[in-house]
Amino acid sequence: MQGGCSLQFSRKDEYREYFVERFGISKKVMMQYSFWQRSQKVWAFSGTLITERNIEILGVKALTLGKVPKPSTAFLRVVGSYATRNVVTLNSQDALKFLRGEELKGEFSVDHGYVIVRSTEDILGCGFYADTLKSLIPRKYRVQNTWI
Amino acid sequence: MEEKKADIEKFRIYEDIIPDFASFMEIIKTPQPYWLRVNTLKIKQQELVNRLQSKGFVLERYENMNAYKIAKMPVKHPGATMEHSLGYYYIQDLSSMAPVWVLSPIPGENILDMAAAPGSKSTMMAEMMENRGTIIANDINYNRLKSLAANIERLGITNIIVTNKDAQTAKWGKFKKILLDAPCSGEGTFRKNPWDFRFATDKERAMLVKQQKKMVENAWNNLEDEGILVYSTCTYHPLENENVVKYAVEKLNMEVISVEVPVPHAHGVMEWKNEEFSFYRKCVRIYPHLMDAGGMFIAVLKKR
Repeated sequence: MQGGCSLQFSRKDEYREYFVERFGISKKVMMQYSFWQRSQKVWAFSGTLITERNIEILGVKALTLGKVPKPSTAFLRVVGSYATRNVVTLNSQDALKFLRGEELKGEFSVDHGYVIVRSTEDILGCGFYADTLKSLIPRKYRVQNTWI
Repeated sequence: MEEKKADIEKFRIYEDIIPDFASFMEIIKTPQPYWLRVNTLKIKQQELVNRLQSKGFVLERYENMNAYKIAKMPVKHPGATMEHSLGYYYIQDLSSMAPVWVLSPIPGENILDMAAAPGSKSTMMAEMMENRGTIIANDINYNRLKSLAANIERLGITNIIVTNKDAQTAKWGKFKKILLDAPCSGEGTFRKNPWDFRFATDKERAMLVKQQKKMVENAWNNLEDEGILVYSTCTYHPLENENVVKYAVEKLNMEVISVEVPVPHAHGVMEWKNEEFSFYRKCVRIYPHLMDAGGMFIAVLKKR
């Protein structure tokens, strides 16, 4: 959100390819979404109507642009179950550590860079793998000690 | 405690319009249970139920609906679970689900939610629409939009456009279906937090009614011909409910359509302070003593 002075979104469907190439998600799945850039953020939208100006939010934030695009945990939780590569699967104990924001040691057969992290049951979100697995779970989603 | 008792007594103005008023007065002294809705975009209902029950939750499903009363929970807040953080469920009162059931969104439709934050109804619509079609979720209060945005993100809703406009004047286009869950005095939420609840003064209520009528008028502007407006509030006062519907009928020539809602309810109020509401049987009033939830008023208006 832009604090009341909404910037315009511009359609940039080329960012769909990132998810196809990096995570092996089929084009058919990704074609459900159009991609919209505003500043350094790219949003994925599955709606069918764009008549609106002064939009605050359009679908779910999918990427933050930088040297390399960084996928969002929120969008990976939407499409992550369709991924066929660069997916790290954790056992339930490590999954809980990852959700607490802890860094995990270990070797995983994935490329270095952004990965989808899942447990056997759940898509957990975005991690960064380079010898260790860093949790990129936003603070607001991190599991707290008082939770069950 | 004396002050709390005095507050409850303020409900006595409704003694003649709320059926089984003694039961109503009894239940509003008790805490309102939490209800949840499973986010079927992310998980199957039974799978979530099994997971929460294995953690010590006791859930009671309402009929065959996607609505579960939390009868018992092993945490202080029902959102203190990994499953909540993963977006698998949303804490939403049963009465708050009713306007969406009445609107019956289906995949592919375009729907306007004029006063959407924090997003209970918009996200429920998106779930029923399977993330297909488009919902414009608007709210004038920028701070409240933050909670709407957070809920959209956590639940993985991808077909909502959020706007920050004045629902009394804004133009979005033409819609077949509009939800106006209008800002109101909120008496139906009393049980959620009776200690801090403040009843609206007459002056405040008059201001709310003025806003509600302007919003209905603007909903009419944004409706297609034959389009449907679901008007709802979470309060009991007829001035904010049947009185606003009467305005839509008399000033905007809208037609009141009979409401079907799958929860125990009463019909609207026939008369208040010598003002009659001929359409009263077509409106719905949901009361806490009928189903152990909050209070809600619902009317369906068609543009002619």
